[in-house]
Amino acid sequence: MENTTRLPSQDREKRHISAKNKYGWFFISFPVIILAVFMLYPIISSLFLSTMSSRGMIQKFVGLRNYVKLLKDTVFLQALKNTFIFFIIQVPIMLFLALIIASLLNDKSIKFRGLFRTGIFLPAVTSLVTYALLFKMMFSLDGLINKFLLAIHLISEPIPWLMDPFWAKITVMIAMTWRWTGYNMIFYLSGLQNIPDELYEAAEIDGANKLRQFRFITVPMLKPIILFTAITSTIGTLQLFDEPMSFSSGGVTAATIGPGNSLLTMSVYIYNLCFKYMPNFGYAATVAYVIVILVAILAIIQFKLAGDKR
Amino acid sequence: MRKSLKKILQYAFLIAAFVVAVFPFYWMVVGATNSAVEIVKGKITFGNQLGKNFKTLFAEYDVARIFFNSCKVAILTVIGQLIISSMGGYGFELFASKARDKIYGIVMMTMMVPFAALMIPLFRLIVRFNLLDSHLGLILTSLTSVFLIFFFRQSFKSFPKEIIQAARVDGAGEFRIFYSIVVPSMKATYAAAAIYSFMTSWNAYMWPLIVLQSNQKKTMQLLISTMSSAYFPEYGVIMAAILISTLPMIIIFFGLQSYFVQGITGSLKQ
Amino acid sequence: MSVKCEIGNYAVHSGDKLKKEETVVKRLFSMLLVVCVLFSIFGVTVMAGGKSGKITIWAWDPNFNVPVMAEAKARYQKINPSVEIEIVEMAKADVEQKLNTVLASGMKEGLPDIVLIEDYNAQKYLQAYPGAFADLTKKINHKEFASYKNELMTLKRKIYGVPFDSGVSALFYRRDILAEAGYEPADLNNITWDQFIEIGKQVKKKTGKAMIAFDAADGGLMRIMMQSAGEWYFDKNDNPNIVNNEVIKEGYIAYKKIVDSGIIKKTSGWNEWVASFNKGETASVITGCWIIGSIKAEKSQSGKWAAAPTPRLNLKSSVNYSNLGGSSWYVIEKSKNRAVAEDFLKTIFAADQDFYQKILVEQGAVGTYLPSQDGVAYTKPDQFFGGQKIFSDFSTWMRKIPPVNYGLFTYEADAALMAVMPDYLAGKIDVETALKKAEEQLKNQIDF
Repeated sequence: MENTTRLPSQDREKRHISAKNKYGWFFISFPVIILAVFMLYPIISSLFLSTMSSRGMIQKFVGLRNYVKLLKDTVFLQALKNTFIFFIIQVPIMLFLALIIASLLNDKSIKFRGLFRTGIFLPAVTSLVTYALLFKMMFSLDGLINKFLLAIHLISEPIPWLMDPFWAKITVMIAMTWRWTGYNMIFYLSGLQNIPDELYEAAEIDGANKLRQFRFITVPMLKPIILFTAITSTIGTLQLFDEPMSFSSGGVTAATIGPGNSLLTMSVYIYNLCFKYMPNFGYAATVAYVIVILVAILAIIQFKLAGDKR
Repeated sequence: MRKSLKKILQYAFLIAAFVVAVFPFYWMVVGATNSAVEIVKGKITFGNQLGKNFKTLFAEYDVARIFFNSCKVAILTVIGQLIISSMGGYGFELFASKARDKIYGIVMMTMMVPFAALMIPLFRLIVRFNLLDSHLGLILTSLTSVFLIFFFRQSFKSFPKEIIQAARVDGAGEFRIFYSIVVPSMKATYAAAAIYSFMTSWNAYMWPLIVLQSNQKKTMQLLISTMSSAYFPEYGVIMAAILISTLPMIIIFFGLQSYFVQGITGSLKQ
Repeated sequence: MSVKCEIGNYAVHSGDKLKKEETVVKRLFSMLLVVCVLFSIFGVTVMAGGKSGKITIWAWDPNFNVPVMAEAKARYQKINPSVEIEIVEMAKADVEQKLNTVLASGMKEGLPDIVLIEDYNAQKYLQAYPGAFADLTKKINHKEFASYKNELMTLKRKIYGVPFDSGVSALFYRRDILAEAGYEPADLNNITWDQFIEIGKQVKKKTGKAMIAFDAADGGLMRIMMQSAGEWYFDKNDNPNIVNNEVIKEGYIAYKKIVDSGIIKKTSGWNEWVASFNKGETASVITGCWIIGSIKAEKSQSGKWAAAPTPRLNLKSSVNYSNLGGSSWYVIEKSKNRAVAEDFLKTIFAADQDFYQKILVEQGAVGTYLPSQDGVAYTKPDQFFGGQKIFSDFSTWMRKIPPVNYGLFTYEADAALMAVMPDYLAGKIDVETALKKAEEQLKNQIDF
């Protein structure tokens, strides 16, 4: 309003920008205020905590010594390694599969699309308790999977799925892919709705086959959503907790997370440091900040790869 | 000929994915009709314990109230998250500026902090705000989803800016443009966000565990976790509880997925 | 280029639909608003409630501790009808998570009056949260409880909890399968682990069945072995004592012997383990007495089971009596109704003999309150176990369990030892290297 005394041409421009600016702040104010209260304070508080070593309520200041301790902590290093193996192998497979299923389902000539969509999405809502229980049974030494593989002579000896460090990881990756593919598919489907059919029709007329259409229309048009799912999956995997916890629970006395700690992830380690072991919240916060740093680095790499300027 | 072979392959792939995806769910339904021992032994056919399992469940736990609690928290959270997060995503994308992009960066960083690290300070906040053992404590803390701000912003990227420009020329206010032009035409996006939001709220476990104190306030996930912690869990009864707790999510998904179909392209056709 | 063109086209068309869409959205929002208002009204009406003389209890296991507490509550309320008792039931990990979070936050709110704590965690909580739990030395006559239970809840000569259930361990075995292999019950009494393995080999040869189900990630057997010799992972000052610990070394070697002998069925996780004996694939189970509920769940095996004392190690210090698991009740020091909470535990858990008979029959809960163990329920033959008076046997064995102070870091030590187990079992490293690695890791981990 104070702008009215300025030159008319400048004035209009300025007013437009400042009005735009005002609305910009208006739109983001609600989420930012809520986050400032419920996220920023806890984050700063736990950053402070990461300079402490604690045994429950007994705390002492150790500065950066927790970070030094991390480098010597073979359990942490193993958790770091395990987490990265999950990340590098499982995330690409899952996202690719989700993209394929989504584009298959976006084909209007397919019958029962609603049923397929619901069915393939179901794993995301199936309770963790159920699916962990079932997967553990199916992947036991004399479980359904081994029986099937033996019957078709693909293997001659049962695979020790959850008893061998290598196979345990494979089992968890299969389970994760099973659970989250349909979920990521939903985001792709919603993104595909924003791509006009005419694009595909035009490509069809130009003689481009389905593969080329997928490569040159679907993937580039979905880029923002693909980037979105890639980053959320990165965060999800680096904070992976549910599957390792429930696939390794051995009742009252399970000592390690999977055979030889092969399923131990950083988030599970944080949990153990807080609640299973002598509660060392300071050290746990340190591990948490390592995750934050790693995710940030990976997110930046992904933004760069996607060619997004921001 | 080649075309029909392609179709067959397409169906075969989808059917395979469907069967693999649905089997555990089927097993869960079967589980609700069997006894715990039968489930542990790996029975995959329907049994006759359905009535007994449900009777035990309702006799031993206040399922109706717990279910209602979950619904209340989830619905209110979804409403709040959709409104606030989509506004945020819209503001960050359509009114991008240097300052706001910096804030956006900080907001995104908060998504990367594992929740376990924030629990203790967050708990102190809840106690200070006198929100311990209240559903409001759960709803307030999750009113904004960083994930959804991100999702909405990414989705608004592909929203045609020409429409907004045209509306501005017509003299429509910024909030009105958002409310009556952008929101209605992004139905598929809102539907996906609602599904996500409902799922996370409905499945939330760690935080409700810390905030809620009394039996009256419990949510379904806490109930299921409690039930499955026995030395010898009553799996049949647990499956019955899980069945009840999964239904709302399937209904929500089934109901909202029609919005995917009648998205923007759908309206073009008519 | 074609993309732009299409989008422009679409913009024109979508304008037509705006009006209709708008009303849909409006209706949706107004519906949601109504829902909001309804919920908040309901929320307010539900909020009301009284507070006088109320105690809250946190416990886990809906088939065990929780119904036990419910029974205790009913009995206490008969004497004191004005006292309100709420039992909040959670998973064990959840109780621990909540307790840690609330205690560490330093807040007075959000704690129960009584909480169940697993025995292995007792020292950790007592020392990590000084002043959080009430000293019950003078309130409860601890002499009436099994001595090994008192030891683990004692800190600086003060006893903090009320001992509850026992995890007295036993060798549970299938009479019929062992008989088929040519063994009488007497052959299984007071044996060593080596003898156990020999018997297992015969069972495998004659019946084709595995002697025992074995989970390589499970540290339970190691704990049973250690306690049978009155040892633990730590010395008196809570320093790791692994490399030079004869008992741990012997136990570690026994693990490998058991695996190498071919008498095991490999399992992973709790359910598979339970299923192995429910399905009748294994001839025995060695664990705490709380497993009885799971064994009895398979009704078709009634009359076929028996229980013998736990195998012992080849060491002079090792006996045939040990323990796995078990937990106890603790009162929160700052509880508003501490006196009521203490009186409740004292009246029921440290006096009511009939209560212990009832929970033994109903939940199979073996208490550690010794005076109750001459009662009818304890001395009754159990038909599922072929008429053996197993609870009376448990009671006898329980009194002979060597007391052990579990120290502060049982779970850390467990993880450190079991993490190197696969390499040792596979023959990649020898026992000395394994123990050395475990001790190094443990030392770094618990460094304060």
